[in-house]
Amino acid sequence: MYGHRRLDSLDVPTILTTLALALIGVVSIASSTAGDGGRAGLWRMQLFWLVIAVVAAAVVVIVDYRVWAEISLALHGVVIVLLVLTLFVGTEIGGNRSWLVLGPARLQASEFAKWTTCLALAGYLASQVRGSIGLRQLVEIGLIAGVPAGLIQLQGDSGTMLTLTPIVLAALLIGGMRARLIVGLAVVGLLLAPLVWTQLEPYQKERVLTTFDSERDPSGFGYQVRQSKIAIGSGGITGQGLFRGTQNRFDFLPEQHTDFVLAVFAEENGFVGATILLGLFYYLFWRGIKAARSAQDRLGTYIALLVVAWLAGQMTINVGMVLGRLPTIGVPLPFMSYGGSSLLAAVCGVGLIVNVRTRRFVN
Amino acid sequence: MDYRERWELKDFLIGQRLERRVLLFQVLLTLVLLGFLLNFWYLQGVQADHWADLAENNRLRRIPIPPSRGEILDRHGEVIASTRPSLSLVLRREGGHDLAEQLRRLAPIVDVPYDMLAERLASMRGRPLYEALVVKADVSLAELARIGVRRERFPSVEVRQTPRRHYLEGGLAAHAVGYVGQVGEAALSSDRTGRLQRGDIVGKSGLERRYDDTLGGERGWMLVSVNNLGRQIGEARVAESPYHGEPIRMTLDLAMQRALVEGLGEEAGAGVFIDARTGEVLAIASTPTFDPNLFADGFTPEAWEAITTDPRRPLHDRAIASFYAPGSTFKVIMAVAGLETGTVRPSDTVYCPGHATFYGRRRLCWKRGGHGTVDLQRAVAESCNVYFYTLGQKLGIDAIEHYSSIFGLGTPTGIDMPGEVAGVLPSREWKQRVQGEMWYPGDTISVAIGQGLIAVTPVQMAHAMATVGNGGVDVTPHLRREGATPPRRLPLSPSTLHEVQRAMARTVERGTGRRATTGRFTVAGKTGTAQVYKHSAGIDSNDLPKDERDHAWFAGYSPAESPRVAFAVVVEHGGHGGETAAPIVRSVLEAYFAQEDDRGASGDTRADARGGRRRAGDVRAPSAR
Repeated sequence: MYGHRRLDSLDVPTILTTLALALIGVVSIASSTAGDGGRAGLWRMQLFWLVIAVVAAAVVVIVDYRVWAEISLALHGVVIVLLVLTLFVGTEIGGNRSWLVLGPARLQASEFAKWTTCLALAGYLASQVRGSIGLRQLVEIGLIAGVPAGLIQLQGDSGTMLTLTPIVLAALLIGGMRARLIVGLAVVGLLLAPLVWTQLEPYQKERVLTTFDSERDPSGFGYQVRQSKIAIGSGGITGQGLFRGTQNRFDFLPEQHTDFVLAVFAEENGFVGATILLGLFYYLFWRGIKAARSAQDRLGTYIALLVVAWLAGQMTINVGMVLGRLPTIGVPLPFMSYGGSSLLAAVCGVGLIVNVRTRRFVN
Repeated sequence: MDYRERWELKDFLIGQRLERRVLLFQVLLTLVLLGFLLNFWYLQGVQADHWADLAENNRLRRIPIPPSRGEILDRHGEVIASTRPSLSLVLRREGGHDLAEQLRRLAPIVDVPYDMLAERLASMRGRPLYEALVVKADVSLAELARIGVRRERFPSVEVRQTPRRHYLEGGLAAHAVGYVGQVGEAALSSDRTGRLQRGDIVGKSGLERRYDDTLGGERGWMLVSVNNLGRQIGEARVAESPYHGEPIRMTLDLAMQRALVEGLGEEAGAGVFIDARTGEVLAIASTPTFDPNLFADGFTPEAWEAITTDPRRPLHDRAIASFYAPGSTFKVIMAVAGLETGTVRPSDTVYCPGHATFYGRRRLCWKRGGHGTVDLQRAVAESCNVYFYTLGQKLGIDAIEHYSSIFGLGTPTGIDMPGEVAGVLPSREWKQRVQGEMWYPGDTISVAIGQGLIAVTPVQMAHAMATVGNGGVDVTPHLRREGATPPRRLPLSPSTLHEVQRAMARTVERGTGRRATTGRFTVAGKTGTAQVYKHSAGIDSNDLPKDERDHAWFAGYSPAESPRVAFAVVVEHGGHGGETAAPIVRSVLEAYFAQEDDRGASGDTRADARGGRRRAGDVRAPSAR
């Protein structure tokens, strides 16, 4: 239906950057679980998932993004069904009922919801929005993102639910919503904040407060953030060396291989490592925006931008949390945190960017 | 749906806006990442040392090593207070996540109310995290076993060996030696040196408190590498050894102390025996007494209630903190004042018809028939009130006050025990200031026989008696052998004192104090009764209910011719001093002279024994720094 491109126009820098991030993740997971009997082999699992993710991403790249957009709502529907299913037959881990057990694999449908939400919103913007977003479009965009968001919230996973916010904001921004309307929405959001506050669980409130007062309750809710900062800070300029971080090795850092893997990385690789890592992320997002600029059509632009918004937003939340600048909510660092579904979804997200880039507009 | 539409003008405009917004997006992303980079630089570059220290703290746990408290020994090296090891259960506050939950599980096992533990934990907020909460001190092995089998449920709970105070003699010298306990909130918050930590054991009263710095020592530290669960990994190493407390040798003689406490028996009262030449306190007791081990072992609420609400106030030290009207014992000082001022000569006499009237008020002598014609010697020995009323009237309050203050009345003696009071030495100025009234001549007449406004502590009385006996040398009573204040000669003429000494010796030989001696040793002394109720003058104390009877005094020194021991004993509601207080003195002096005989037989006189002290077998040498 659409023209085919040859393999040599693949976006190699983007692919290599992604692989680099994922492999750094695997090493960090290996370091943070070494010596821990039950988890020592987790890095192999992550590597295995990376292989699956690369294969899946290849499929994502091969099929034209316009085809993906055409079936995006259907895919989104499938994910929503999976989310509903998770609610009823899901497995609860760490307080969240977010996992679907399929034989040996445990899947987090909520991770894939990020991917389909990007695709579906891009498709919607490209086909339904001309000029700027009106009230009807606002409602429909709200539905596309809101249904999975609500289901994820019902699972108890506020973190993942919140990572959908940057995607929606980006969609409104690039979809041509008037700036003053966006500002208006933000004001309404701020006005609603006290209402949200009253709905928070006590532990969530405590986490928010800890963000503003890091000395608050250092043995309780402040513990994790404090330990994270100790790990990062004690890394110094050049780090303690791979597999040598004491905070990591002696397990002072909770969630060290999942949400706080960055702290382990920073402890062992120091400021130099952290700079390189942030540079890789920045380069990846820059490539994504470049893909958006050179896209053949608005759909391509939208897809690339929304995927960048998703990954950059999620990274921002995670890094902010690890640095103690944002409340601790369970959000993994894209590509690096342990978790198959998260890795798979993020790599497939990059797959969409590569897809757009490969089919770029060429004079 | 066909996405392959052509770009039109409208699309171009949209594209322009899109371009602006993508730019905005890029700027935002760049700023966020630069912000993160700065934050990493701040943590890893600027603050790196700070966090590295914290990481070290995370990994290394400082565990305090409590010092062993110095022993307290009597003058012969007998141990009065020792330190024995005991186990206490503590909750580490650092690194734990569910401290409250652990306490909740622990409370029933150690039988301490959870609320109390939670409160204590909450009160530790703001203190350094390495300070552990003492859940229970001196836990039994049975309790430890119950916790041990469920070790994994109490990751933050730990057993620490702590030295524990043990008073071998129980309540024998409870007020003098004092007791120890956990440092109080007030002391903690006013401690500027950082020496004190919550849970520290400090002296709370007596010598334990007075010499806490010497006895207490200084805690040391042990460093242990731990993982996040507080599990020890690797060897513990001593970073700083504790300085153990140094022992204190007291001047107390346990044999005399025992005789004194047994002599006082069930009565409420106090006795002080000091070396008349040096001020060394040989025996000092206040009854009823208490067991200081109760403080070290931790009170049950009932026991605490019982000891603090006991109307006889066992915790109160009557020897230094209660004052009584000196009664006739004060006549000794009156006699000195009379002779020194030249108001009377020894041969001057007064006729005692059993009563006399001063300033319109009829005063009684205790002997209703009267003493007849009495000189100073008889007046003291037979305790004639009329003689001293007359003397008091001639002297006036100013002279009485002056000579009383030379003997140290009205000021603390300076004994090395916390809580000594000054008693009351009345004067014109004092009465105006405290009672807001002018001094009436009638007040002087009461004071002249040791009643009315004047009040002295037993230790003041013993101290005054030493001054009389040793020929006018002021010695400061003290309980620690080292560091005594040097004696000081007082402006009193030897002939005056000699005259009064003779009178006091006669008191015991033939007068009111006959029961103080057995004949094996001589005693000089003076009895006294401190009026409790006005009506008691002239009424035989034995006819009154116990708690309306007068307080009984006996004060003096022994041997009469060359005093070594000065003493004062007061028995509350004891009636006549000659009947209740004097026999107590006799038994204590017997204990003193019995040892004297032993030493004399082995050629080791008491004076020599002071130079070459016998060393207790288990005296711990103070640890070197």
